[in-house]
Amino acid sequence: MKSLRSLPVRGCVLLSLFLALFASGAGIGLPQAGEPPAERPPCCRTAPTNSPPTGGSLYQLESIWTSDVGARVRLRVLEGRPQVVALFFTHCEYACPVLVRDLKRIEAALPETIRPSVDFLLISLDSERDTPAVLAEYRESHRLGLDHWTLLTGAGDDVRELAALLGVNYRKDARGQYSHSNLITVLNARGEVIHQQAGLDQDPAATVAALVKEAGSVRAK
Amino acid sequence: MAGIAVFLLLLISALGETSSSVVAGAGVGDAPGRELADLPGGRYVPLFRLPEEPKEQPVAGFGLETAPVTNGEFLEFVRQNPRWRRSRVPRLFADEGYLRHWGGDLDLGPDPVRAAARPVVHVSWFAARAFAVWSGRRLPSTSEWEYAAGLGFTREDGALDPEFQSAIRRWYGTPTPSELPPVRAGRPNFFGVHDLHGLIWEWTSDFNSALVTGDARGDTGIERQLFCGAGSSGAADRSNFPAFLRTGFRSSLKAAYTLHNLGFRCALDVPNPAARKSEPKP
Repeated sequence: MKSLRSLPVRGCVLLSLFLALFASGAGIGLPQAGEPPAERPPCCRTAPTNSPPTGGSLYQLESIWTSDVGARVRLRVLEGRPQVVALFFTHCEYACPVLVRDLKRIEAALPETIRPSVDFLLISLDSERDTPAVLAEYRESHRLGLDHWTLLTGAGDDVRELAALLGVNYRKDARGQYSHSNLITVLNARGEVIHQQAGLDQDPAATVAALVKEAGSVRAK
Repeated sequence: MAGIAVFLLLLISALGETSSSVVAGAGVGDAPGRELADLPGGRYVPLFRLPEEPKEQPVAGFGLETAPVTNGEFLEFVRQNPRWRRSRVPRLFADEGYLRHWGGDLDLGPDPVRAAARPVVHVSWFAARAFAVWSGRRLPSTSEWEYAAGLGFTREDGALDPEFQSAIRRWYGTPTPSELPPVRAGRPNFFGVHDLHGLIWEWTSDFNSALVTGDARGDTGIERQLFCGAGSSGAADRSNFPAFLRTGFRSSLKAAYTLHNLGFRCALDVPNPAARKSEPKP
């Protein structure tokens, strides 16, 4: 315990705090200069709106996530458009490929008029292995378009918190695989959960209906 | 930015002078000093596991608070963190039952002295976690908690302590009294930890790692081993009924839930395992 009080350690804590402060202050939610917006995923283009999140909004979370394009963001940057969310990990052998396919199925089943206004969000359960570079590779190999797909990775504790909010249970087994609930969540434009699709390989009709309804109410405003 | 930097500098130098609360870093408030027992670590035999997983999980040594957090201690947290007051907490982070046994935001009810010594209940996982961070600690993991819960009264291995075994069975068969007893009223275990059995249920950091959920139909394989039909056939120890109860209970929780008999205590990584004493407390 004594060593924790010694000056070098305190200096280290101080330095890392400062670094964290500057790093986060620089990146959060600010569109990067010199790049056309379409070349960045939804998480990393729009500045957050100024209205405070509602009491039921996931955008109250202060946790900071890293995108496959390297930007550090709060979930709040996704405000303004409905999001279809799933937790996954890239080393997944069984469920996740199906889960991602299910998301694509939802995307394909959306009416042409609605599709451009809906985004898809994949967040990794595997904080250790799913670095931004690994996520970028995953985006490439699974052809997840930059226009509507966001891929994020974050700290283990923050993943646990987000999973708790979404009702996703998970644990890492001895082989480094994550067993997890297969749950697809629809967030409305304010970040509130409006629909969940449980299980793999489900008929996307109910999820599509929820998105159509939400897109309609966004447009009406 | 300069203002924040100066503030941080002051904050950090202030923290440097306080005790163990420095360990968890930022976000530490003026938390009450809560006694920790130094647990040497050992093994945890999960009730359910995948066929290819080992029977036992090692649990590293850690510090565990010797009693659950009380109403009095939680009141101090709420006082210093207004967003966790009953009238202000967002519904996302605690359901409408949050702190319902209190008289108001900062009011423990008709007999505040009596209430202050009793374990805080009606708290969500988010609130418990926020308290832990504020006090410079964390919630224990399920494996840590279960390991600690297996420690006997008179010897480390509770399974070999018949008195301990019958005491915990007695509690799991007894309904929660309308007024909870104060913390530390129960017999301490070998390392001086009170109330792991016999008082309340407790949140763990990864309570949501049990894969038996309301939406289990599409889940991965594990939940099929749990509770349905011949559910117990895959269990490590079929006689450990309390462990069944706890597993079932945890898997039924959602993080915003609050219950009249669900509270928590905090844990801490032991910074220097070599310096740890394994002597039991007198």
